[in-house]
Amino acid sequence: METYHYVNIFETKGLEYLLLICFLVLFVLLIRYLERPKPEESSENRASRVTRRHPC
Amino acid sequence: MDSTAAVSGGHLGRELRGFGRFLLRELKPRGKLITPFNVISLPIIVLGIAILIVRFVRGLGSVTNLSQEVPWGLWIGFDVVTGVALAGGAYVITFVVYVMRLEKYRPIVRVTILNGLLAYVFYAGALVFDLGRPWNIINPIIGNSFGYNSVLFLVAWHFLLYMIAEFVEFSPVVAEWLGWKRVRRLLRSLTLGAVIFGITLSTLHQSGLGALFLMAKAKIHPLWYTEFIPILFFVSSIAAGLSMIIIEGTISHRVFKDQIDPRRHGTFEELVFGLAKGAAISLFVYYFFKALIFIHEQHWLLLGDAWGVWYLIEVVGFVLTPCVLFAYAVRNRRLGVVRVAALLTVTGIVLNRLNISIIAFNWRSETHYYPSWMEIVVTLMVVFAEIWVFRWVVNRMPVLRPSAHAGQET
Repeated sequence: METYHYVNIFETKGLEYLLLICFLVLFVLLIRYLERPKPEESSENRASRVTRRHPC
Repeated sequence: MDSTAAVSGGHLGRELRGFGRFLLRELKPRGKLITPFNVISLPIIVLGIAILIVRFVRGLGSVTNLSQEVPWGLWIGFDVVTGVALAGGAYVITFVVYVMRLEKYRPIVRVTILNGLLAYVFYAGALVFDLGRPWNIINPIIGNSFGYNSVLFLVAWHFLLYMIAEFVEFSPVVAEWLGWKRVRRLLRSLTLGAVIFGITLSTLHQSGLGALFLMAKAKIHPLWYTEFIPILFFVSSIAAGLSMIIIEGTISHRVFKDQIDPRRHGTFEELVFGLAKGAAISLFVYYFFKALIFIHEQHWLLLGDAWGVWYLIEVVGFVLTPCVLFAYAVRNRRLGVVRVAALLTVTGIVLNRLNISIIAFNWRSETHYYPSWMEIVVTLMVVFAEIWVFRWVVNRMPVLRPSAHAGQET
């Protein structure tokens, strides 16, 4: 009968792999966060705000 | 003055006299002499010179708290190890402008190169103070004792070559100041080569400074010792350099505002946000490297004592916090937050380098090293002397003010 082998996450470097995956995901998110202007400050929103205030 | 005229035989004497008069005129101080900065810095510089005379006459032991057990102190830990990291902005900006061709950063290239050059001359030059036999500093260069196996061999050669590379990068400004048009054209043609050479050297000696500590495994606290110190030193020097440019740029913008083209005032904010973005990314990478090493070495149990708290203060307080602040500031266009984050980053890098070279060094030893007041004065003297030279150059050469040949820059 087969027995279960519990994997020690420290010995298998599992934590390191998890951290690396977290890094890659967060890195993409960080770049997206830095590249995209703040929603309420974007030019489109500002323009629409101006149009709402001063409709022609 | 024209260099062609200088070499034309009949006018040589007159040209030389004119050149001498020009230099004398430029050497005269400009602006107010009694300023808060001058009042504070001048006595410290004079006192520092006096202490250095005593140091060279009577030896290191007469002015420092160094001993056989603690041979490296504040002068190495702050001036050399930290100063070189903070000078990292020069290789980052030259890479961005000359290799990546991001032209919007060109207005700050000259001032950044000048900062880098002076930092190397003064901080790496401070190495001489800390050598028991300073006259032997020439040995790795002249081959009296090359010491190929030593990391210091690499560091010594790199410092020398990098200072030459940075001087070549800055030399067109000097030629423009002297009015040597042909020489300037020749020097400008060398810039790109010098930049690429300088960046290569920087990547190696920034990490090489970290490699110096690889042989001290038994002496450095395990939370700071890792075989990846060279990589950490290199990555952190990028964030340190960018943050220093933000701080120096902010100060220069106020102090030398009369020299800056008014049209460029608006673009400065854009540059700062661009630099802050770079700093956020490099701090993010640096933080994850630190976390990865921490997990790899399984240092959980070491966090329980005062050393662990001190380590967390450094990593969370001065790496993760400024990283978050930079990102928030870029996203929300908050210039003040960028400056705070830059200040935190620089403090964090200073703390990290001092932890590795002084504070967590010999951590188990019963004798602890504390710098003497004279070591602190000499360190301040080096910093102030650099600022004095920086101010002298900026007030005379076209560093911040637009170049007369701006259109020809490539």
